[in-house]
Amino acid sequence: MNVAPLSRRPLGCLKTALRQSRQQNALVCRSMATATATSQSAPGLARLPDHNFYQLKDSKTKKLRSAFAVYQTPMVKTEPDPKKVVKRLPRNAPRVPAEKLPGFLIPPPDPMPMLHATQIARMDPTGARTALLAKTRQGARPGDILMVTHRRGGEPFSGVCMSIRRAGIDSAVLLRTHLNKVGVEMWYKVYNKNVAGIEIVKRARKRARRARLTYLRQPKHDMGSVSEIVAQWKKTRKIMSTRGGGQKGGKGKAKPAKK
Amino acid sequence: MAPRLPARCWRQLQTHHHQQSTITTLVRPRASSPPTTTLLLPRTTTRGVKYGWSTLSPRAKVTRFNQVTAGLPAPTTGPAAALKRRERTTPVRAGVLAIKKGMTAFMGKAGARIPCTVLQLDRVQTVANKTRAKNGYFAVQVGLGEKSADNVTAPLLGYFEAKGIAPKRELAEFKVRDASGLLPVGVQLLPDWFHVGQWVDVRANSRGMGFAGGMKRHGFKGQEASHGNSKNHRTIGTVGPSQGGGSRVYPGKKMPGRMGNERVTMQNLPVLMVDNDLGIVVVKGCVAGPKGCVVKIQDAVKKPPPPQKFVEHSRKVLEERFPDAEEVLEAARKRHLELKEARREGRIEQLLAAGVIQEAAAASPIPGDASVVY
Repeated sequence: MNVAPLSRRPLGCLKTALRQSRQQNALVCRSMATATATSQSAPGLARLPDHNFYQLKDSKTKKLRSAFAVYQTPMVKTEPDPKKVVKRLPRNAPRVPAEKLPGFLIPPPDPMPMLHATQIARMDPTGARTALLAKTRQGARPGDILMVTHRRGGEPFSGVCMSIRRAGIDSAVLLRTHLNKVGVEMWYKVYNKNVAGIEIVKRARKRARRARLTYLRQPKHDMGSVSEIVAQWKKTRKIMSTRGGGQKGGKGKAKPAKK
Repeated sequence: MAPRLPARCWRQLQTHHHQQSTITTLVRPRASSPPTTTLLLPRTTTRGVKYGWSTLSPRAKVTRFNQVTAGLPAPTTGPAAALKRRERTTPVRAGVLAIKKGMTAFMGKAGARIPCTVLQLDRVQTVANKTRAKNGYFAVQVGLGEKSADNVTAPLLGYFEAKGIAPKRELAEFKVRDASGLLPVGVQLLPDWFHVGQWVDVRANSRGMGFAGGMKRHGFKGQEASHGNSKNHRTIGTVGPSQGGGSRVYPGKKMPGRMGNERVTMQNLPVLMVDNDLGIVVVKGCVAGPKGCVVKIQDAVKKPPPPQKFVEHSRKVLEERFPDAEEVLEAARKRHLELKEARREGRIEQLLAAGVIQEAAAASPIPGDASVVY
């Protein structure tokens, strides 16, 4: 190349420049304005998915050593509707015939929130249970005294809320009280159907400065039995309610107690 | 005792050489006259290039005994016997790779709570088939996710180039019972490959605990806190008997060492939910390993396989979704051979410069842009 006569040099430069620009065209990211045209030129290649070339270069000389075609998966991003309730089809349900996919389905990177949303929509259509767990003024907080009524009757369990475990459909509250002068702690899954309702009997006087009030287990801080507070609250509720007999926990609803 | 020749050998002999051939001469050809021996010995040579040759000694070919036609029982050892033995415990269909996303629970209408694990199938594709003729067994190679070409070695880049698929993050093989379990290459396996209610085996590597002591790793009791114990509260104590036991440590003695990060299979987990949109398969119970680990899901070995109707259906769905998988593979193979030739001859640079890349890039949009829908 160096021995080429000077007169041929400019043309050679032009050729190189053109070649470079051709390469650049292919490698550099194109702007959105240029539309993609499917290549119909080569009939054998029409079926091939789109591909680019990965170039292996010599580390010292920076010359192209080799190149491999790297294919791209034609992709379709799935955008599931969070409000959509996933139906669990029975085993013998007629199956929907499959269609040709336009590409590969790429699932969302984190399916858990969407899965929780569908499950919660199924288990808590009124949103009462979700409201109890919400970090709002109406929601329960550690330090509050809660009363849980069971679906199959039985004595409601009340106690001080020691912690709230927020885990989507698996969310739970930990209540502590004393029964027969023995400390008792119970975990309740908020979205479980066995829990008919959770009511806030008494708010904590001050906001607890811990998320988990494990210190309540120490004799110094133990609140003891909450039965008296609950009994008092039940009495006031009876007086305030217009209907006689007093309602025992909303059916499947957790309503915040009015003070 | 020398083996007796079958009657058809010497009957012919008798007809030709009545006067001299007897049974004794047949059994001992050395003792017989020259014309008899020439008749007895085969005239065709058995060792020559045109009859095939082998570096093994002729006696080393084990299959010369116990042929199918010999009327003997089928061999209980060897590749064929091994495959036959494992037939019942080899799943009919291939499995999939997935990523463990975490645990949650299903709440039943009657108050039941079912703990479950969410496994996500991220761009799971079939990559290759292994056949009995070529590899000695039937299996489907499946890939998961995607990997930047920067992190893939050149041999693997060539491998994926020949398949016409993007480099995969993980590759794994799933053995299948027979050729009917093999799948078209390059198709995507979605969660509906499984059906709700079926049983699966889920394999994953457990969490690595690092170098753990005997108490944690094997549940040894440790040693007492006092009574003269000095700085040996969690040590494992003695490792073997004294002179009577050989004064040595027996092989396999449980000792401190690396704990966890080993393959754990959870068998017979029921599938609770499959969702193509979320790309998830939810199985009952727990699965080994941390969140984000790669797991293998396949039809349970110890339960009856999914009903034949479903097996056929799942297969048909695959073919309907990706009807031109074969053609794509064939085109990719052709292109791979061209490129391979060019690489070997050092023409790849010219090829790229001359417009192969142009043609390829004409159809390819911005590399790595996932949001483009084709």
